[in-house]
Amino acid sequence: MDLFLQFLTNGLVVGVFYALSALGLTLIFGLMRVVNFAHGEFYMLGGVVGWFVTTYLGLDFFSGLVLVALAIGSFGWLVDRFLIERVRGQGEEPGILLTIGLSIFLVNITLLAIGPAPLKVARAITEGPIFLGPVTITKMRLLAMVIGIALIVGAHAIIHRTRLGSAMRATFQDPMAASLAGIRTKQVYAATFALGCTLSALSGMLLASIYSAQASVGGLVSLKSFVVVILGGMGSFPGAIAGGLLLGVAEALWGGYVATGMVDIIGFLLVILILVLRPQGLFSIRAERA
Amino acid sequence: MYRYVLGCALAAGVAASGIAASGPANAQDSVKIGLVEPLTGSVAYNGKSVVEGAKLAVEQINAKGGVLGKPVELVIEDGQCAPANSVNAVEKLVQKDKVAVLVGAFCSSATAAIMPVAAKYKIPLVTGVSSSAALTEQNNPWFFRAAETDALMAKAFAKILANDLKLKSVAYVGVNDDWGRGGVEEFSRDLSALGVKTALTEYFDHGSTDFFTLLTKLRAAKPDGIFVAAETQDGSILVKQLQEMGVQSKVFGVGSWATADFINLTGDAAEGIYAAVPYVSSVDTPRNQDFVKAYEAKYKVKPGKYGAAGYNALNITAQAIAQAGSTDAEAIRTALGKTDYKAPNGEYRFTAKGQAYGFDAVLVRIEGGTPKVVASSPVEAPQ
Repeated sequence: MDLFLQFLTNGLVVGVFYALSALGLTLIFGLMRVVNFAHGEFYMLGGVVGWFVTTYLGLDFFSGLVLVALAIGSFGWLVDRFLIERVRGQGEEPGILLTIGLSIFLVNITLLAIGPAPLKVARAITEGPIFLGPVTITKMRLLAMVIGIALIVGAHAIIHRTRLGSAMRATFQDPMAASLAGIRTKQVYAATFALGCTLSALSGMLLASIYSAQASVGGLVSLKSFVVVILGGMGSFPGAIAGGLLLGVAEALWGGYVATGMVDIIGFLLVILILVLRPQGLFSIRAERA
Repeated sequence: MYRYVLGCALAAGVAASGIAASGPANAQDSVKIGLVEPLTGSVAYNGKSVVEGAKLAVEQINAKGGVLGKPVELVIEDGQCAPANSVNAVEKLVQKDKVAVLVGAFCSSATAAIMPVAAKYKIPLVTGVSSSAALTEQNNPWFFRAAETDALMAKAFAKILANDLKLKSVAYVGVNDDWGRGGVEEFSRDLSALGVKTALTEYFDHGSTDFFTLLTKLRAAKPDGIFVAAETQDGSILVKQLQEMGVQSKVFGVGSWATADFINLTGDAAEGIYAAVPYVSSVDTPRNQDFVKAYEAKYKVKPGKYGAAGYNALNITAQAIAQAGSTDAEAIRTALGKTDYKAPNGEYRFTAKGQAYGFDAVLVRIEGGTPKVVASSPVEAPQ
């Protein structure tokens, strides 16, 4: 029983992390319908820029986090205005090719600039285990979970409670009607892409302070994030949380009771099951799309 | 008149033969050695260290006048640790660059792929890294391994671990590939033979970041010692999380553990862990101190396992070319077989199968952020 509680806790923590790292993709892939293969690279940039600002600019963790959000957000804005905009409305394939190219470019630029070594991002608080009965967790993990949940709630609020959010939803439902209604859709696209990139980068820096930042982490992050988004349902924040938790807990229990060496199987098994039984995902917002 | 013509002809002949003699020398005013290492991809970080060590060796060789009176030129290609890319790299090095000797290709699977290519072109191939035992069992006469194998390391250290650390039960954790599984198997076999119980055997995938599930099982198994086969990235995160989970067992690992990067990444969680490594910069011999000083002056970091591997592989190769007295492949191969190279970490010789022995492997304990040598044991020739 003690073991089960620890496995469950591990799964929930990792699940929140998965949901967090998939947030950006939920927006960009789920809502904007840009199949963003560079998602993991924005996550990676968050960690690497986070390492840079805390190590070389001497910022503390939270100021660093703000600076990373601003830097990667602006970068995401520029990427949308100068790259994604050129292929918008031409179907999914040009966007896929573009983001694959972008991901290769970003990885190699990072390799060129700082090399392949794993990097250590300063932690927000001193690390130490906390024992809750039979269950062990660390302070930094708890903090990351709290920040993660805050980000998820915040992003959900932006989409559903603000004028910008309404404009976003209108634009992705019907760009023509939205622009006839006076919404500057170009700005909305760019803002959504920038927000998605910011969320990816924030999760990248947060998790890099727990694990480590490295130029080559992007591929795995992209893969897991696609699993989470598909499990949860495209563009749905509750779905991303459910998908993340489901994946995290399933991996923890599989690893705990079967074998840790084959833990990556379980995510894809889940995706296949979901696609067979409930192709729209656990929480679908399909009705919102024409 | 006749004499004059003859004189001219003679002069022309001498000139012509002079050109003929100097022609190839001009075309080959350097001795080329091809190096295939992963410079991109998941082990690029370690591949880069090999290249750094190799460059330092070449610099030192050339400062002393090179080999055969010519400077050594290192031609580096990215094999990405992938068999196909490594084969392409070797084809290019042989066909276009016409290298005399090949060094590479880091990952055992990639090295296994380029071995037949080296044999096809009859070019000697030296690896300083690839440790899969199967490589030297293929009877490829062109292949030489200037590195330890898991089996040799396990043999060198099993007794020390069982007796000096007084381990009764050990949990084995390894990265889920040839190397990790091989390391776990070899160490568990040799330790079991000495009466050490196996508490748990688990594997994890490359690039895993969260080990809490694995560590939960491990903590429940309550082993005296934990054996880990992992490289810098995975290993440092694993050791950090061991501390976060409050696991008290003694940890000992194989892989690039005793490096400055590992200790920096792991922080104080690295205190007290043991690492069985073929090389560590703190070995106190004059040859090693000179090497460390030169490496540190050039790269601002102390050399690790892979830096030393690149350095040794290049020196062994260059020495063999000098011994051979030419860049003739057959002569170099014979010279490689007779290698007696004094490395920073002992002396390298090769068995008939091309497996190196005679160099020292060390067991270190990380104390105060530096690896302290606990024991060293020469790697013996396999039976």
